[in-house]
Amino acid sequence: MATVTNWIEHLTTDVDTATEGVQVAGSVYPHVGSELLFVLAGIVFWLVWTFYTAAGEEEEQGKLARKRHGSNDYKNNITEW
Amino acid sequence: MTDQLGALTTIFTEFYYWITVVLMFLIHVGFCVYEVGASRYKHHQHTLMKNTMLIPLVTVTWFFFGWWLYWALPTGPGIAPSIMTESTGLVLGGGFGANELANPTNALMAVNLNDHIMGVFWAAFLLFAWTAASIVSGAVIERITTFAFGILAIAIGSVFWTIDASWGWHFDGWMLKMLGYHDAYASGVIHAVCGGFALGILAVLGPRIGKFSSSGEPRNIGPRNPWLVCVGLFLIYTGFWGFYAACNIPIFDLGPEYGMEGVTFFTATNIYVTPTTLSGITMNFLLSLAGGLLAGYWISKGDPFWTYSGGLAGIIAASAGNDLYHPMQSLIIAGVGTAIAYKLHYWVERKFKIDDAVGAVAVHGYAGVVGLIICGFVLWGYPSSGYGVGSMWVGTDYAPINPLGMFIGAIIMFGVLGFLPGWILAKILHAAGKLRIPRDVELAGLDYNIMEQARKDERAVASSNR
Repeated sequence: MATVTNWIEHLTTDVDTATEGVQVAGSVYPHVGSELLFVLAGIVFWLVWTFYTAAGEEEEQGKLARKRHGSNDYKNNITEW
Repeated sequence: MTDQLGALTTIFTEFYYWITVVLMFLIHVGFCVYEVGASRYKHHQHTLMKNTMLIPLVTVTWFFFGWWLYWALPTGPGIAPSIMTESTGLVLGGGFGANELANPTNALMAVNLNDHIMGVFWAAFLLFAWTAASIVSGAVIERITTFAFGILAIAIGSVFWTIDASWGWHFDGWMLKMLGYHDAYASGVIHAVCGGFALGILAVLGPRIGKFSSSGEPRNIGPRNPWLVCVGLFLIYTGFWGFYAACNIPIFDLGPEYGMEGVTFFTATNIYVTPTTLSGITMNFLLSLAGGLLAGYWISKGDPFWTYSGGLAGIIAASAGNDLYHPMQSLIIAGVGTAIAYKLHYWVERKFKIDDAVGAVAVHGYAGVVGLIICGFVLWGYPSSGYGVGSMWVGTDYAPINPLGMFIGAIIMFGVLGFLPGWILAKILHAAGKLRIPRDVELAGLDYNIMEQARKDERAVASSNR
């Protein structure tokens, strides 16, 4: 839901500019009042990211470890052109 | 400037834009460094020169006609009337018309003690134009001729991106009025259009030799210097910050500007002269960078090239609405945009045999389009301008932001002003035999002669004893 639908109304609603100066609703982002939900969504994203990337890293390193490469084998994979 | 507040506002604004121009120069340094890091050794110097020479080419053409186009075309022409001239024709006057401010033969296009803003504003937009051409540059490395790239750089840098900016990134633009288009930090007007333009060229130019196997399977040609890629992208991030600053008017009294009698309201605004805060957009910039990096790392399984590119794609995806989003909205939108861009890159590569050497079409084009479409939903109902609120398709007032308008806007940016001109120009250059370097040169390397000459000289120097 749009927090602002008309900038002039948003900047002047219910304000006596002569005595109070300009007072405006400060928040302009969509869905004002849902900040907790936003933060919870961010936390879920962060936790899911942590879980999946950790699992992926473990899987990749497990595969590599099983192949038992030597300490100089990587030199065969350096691109020189 | 006769009073202190007026003088302070003007000089501060002049200095503000001046600083943004210097910061944005880092975008170009970053692109040069990044492209060299991504190219193979035998093409390094030509890759660098190709990207460097767009600077003078776009600069002179931007002075001749690019800046003029921006101020002349907000009405289309012929689509929606200007709020300044009330005509649908070219805007050639009325205070912000092309004649007075952007005509290279006008006395204002030089040092003029009555105008402190035009030059730095011109320069800020010029840096946007360099960026536009530079985005295309990376996609076509190692096989395009410098001549063809010069023509294409001028086309995107001084013609097509400036047309779309005039239409959708101008307080008087017809796309705001008819469609409710909103693109505060240029998801579409720079990134989607350049991604589309690059894709149009790539469809004609073809892949690098060896990119696809005989059965059509794509092969990865990774960056030859990951450290340069890393430094380059960090420089691009830094310059992008300057770009964000340059997309704002730093201090503006919206009371008299909006016709609110007796009201004084100083604020920063976006390019559409609607209020935002530098403080808020800084948070959104950083959260969208974080969202892109997280998603890039996750989806590419820790690949450095795509993780860094993901950071950029994240910012680009959230840029359309980063003047108004909550930071968590920026984070999530950036993550979603990056993931879609990454998946689309490999799907298009495999399906259409498109060799985008640095992922520019994905990072700029697809992420930009996704950002525009998401913005249409998240900012649905917000006014696209402070100068009035109307309905879609009417054109005499400003339509509110809405999903359909943003979707059409994305098609105009990526397809109509991006892909189509890129494809047509590439076809013409190809027909003239000027688009692609000869096969033998590509195999030997564009720098072969330079490297051989250097080798001879080095040997001669090494064996010299006097």
